[in-house]
Amino acid sequence: MSEIITVGVAQMRYSSSPAVLRTILGSCVGICIYDRVKKIGGMAHILLPQNQKNNPNLEKYADTAVPLLVKTLLKEGSKKENLSAKIAGGASMFKFGSNISLGQIGDRNIEQTKQELQKLGIPLLVEDVGGNLGKVIDFYLEDGRMKVKAGGQEKMYYKV
Amino acid sequence: MDQNIKQRIESIISNIDQLPPLPEVASKVINMVSDPDVSFKLVAQEISKNQAMTANILKLCNSAFFSKGKEITSIDRAIVTLGLKEVKDIVLLVAAKPVLDKPVSGYDLAQGDLWKQGLAVATMSRDIAIAKKRKDLSDIVFTGGIIHNVGKVVIALFVQQAFRQILELVQTGNIAFHVAEKEIMGYNHQEVGEKILIKWNFPPVLRSIVRFYQDPSASPPEHMLEVSIVHIANAICLMGGVGIGSDGLYHEIKDEAIKKTGLTQAELEELYTRVPDILKQIRDLQ
Repeated sequence: MSEIITVGVAQMRYSSSPAVLRTILGSCVGICIYDRVKKIGGMAHILLPQNQKNNPNLEKYADTAVPLLVKTLLKEGSKKENLSAKIAGGASMFKFGSNISLGQIGDRNIEQTKQELQKLGIPLLVEDVGGNLGKVIDFYLEDGRMKVKAGGQEKMYYKV
Repeated sequence: MDQNIKQRIESIISNIDQLPPLPEVASKVINMVSDPDVSFKLVAQEISKNQAMTANILKLCNSAFFSKGKEITSIDRAIVTLGLKEVKDIVLLVAAKPVLDKPVSGYDLAQGDLWKQGLAVATMSRDIAIAKKRKDLSDIVFTGGIIHNVGKVVIALFVQQAFRQILELVQTGNIAFHVAEKEIMGYNHQEVGEKILIKWNFPPVLRSIVRFYQDPSASPPEHMLEVSIVHIANAICLMGGVGIGSDGLYHEIKDEAIKKTGLTQAELEELYTRVPDILKQIRDLQ
């Protein structure tokens, strides 16, 4: 059994093969970035799209966590051209009042995450996002695959 | 509807011995404290009779979550220092933990998930009551938050069997998960939870929280504010992924509940933003 590293809400963790990074998502988005050459990777679990008040916890927001994750992997010796991303999560409450803006937080998280990846030039290979189901994701650093468990069913994404 | 499952649930909820037990001291203390003229001494005596629990209660009194700095070494001191309502909450935490700190397989929750979700919802509910200048309700919504999910413990086995059917009905019928639970199994976890609270002899406001936390506008008007607070805290914690199970976010956030509490959009977002802090706060209660 490989070591499983749990990534909590508003946290970022990175490690190397054969570790597994795991997180549980509701409206949050999990971002997995993998270096297929060095077999290292990191996961960020963001709660909100934008860090508007310069909160010191950069790992909480898409617009600060994604750059931090990429910077961390580059510092570990990754080359940008070897990095690719997979994302999951961003579910919404099944029904919410029309004037409850918090209801759209999942979609806003997805949107912001994609923008940040694009800005940094990291290709987004897989997205298992939206809907109403919670997700447990396992990110296997031996080959970069991502397992998504939702509603009692599992899907495996191998593309790196 | 699956008649077999329905009958099996019926036979459980109609037989008090098959529902989870709670130490008698918990319901006694909860009912004693709801009387404004109760004597501190009597409550302390009642708690101290149960020695096994007293040790755990004192431990929690001195936890970062509840402590006011000074070390507390007796139930008498605890009541004086923390207050009667706070001590009642602690008694319930100690009493309810064995019931709720279990794996709940039908909802895909590992051991500790349901308990953690209850603690987070309780803490956020308390924060909402205080923010909305209803400190008088903070202990009731805290207790209600802890136990709001208790019916899941009993019904999980059946949800596991019927899960595919329930989820399919949710998706084809465009209905919330607990509504589909009732359609398929004849009962949902809120109804079963209410039966458990009746067995425990809990007061009506807590029964309303457990029964109506998914649908506050159906609750008796005199409890609607307490129910609405727990409704909102539960929804926000699930969105933050706390204790999210196979039922996912197939739940609702009701406009009526938001209106009832008077929470603004900004306050709702702020509560969601605080989920990681709440998880840190409750760490020493797990």
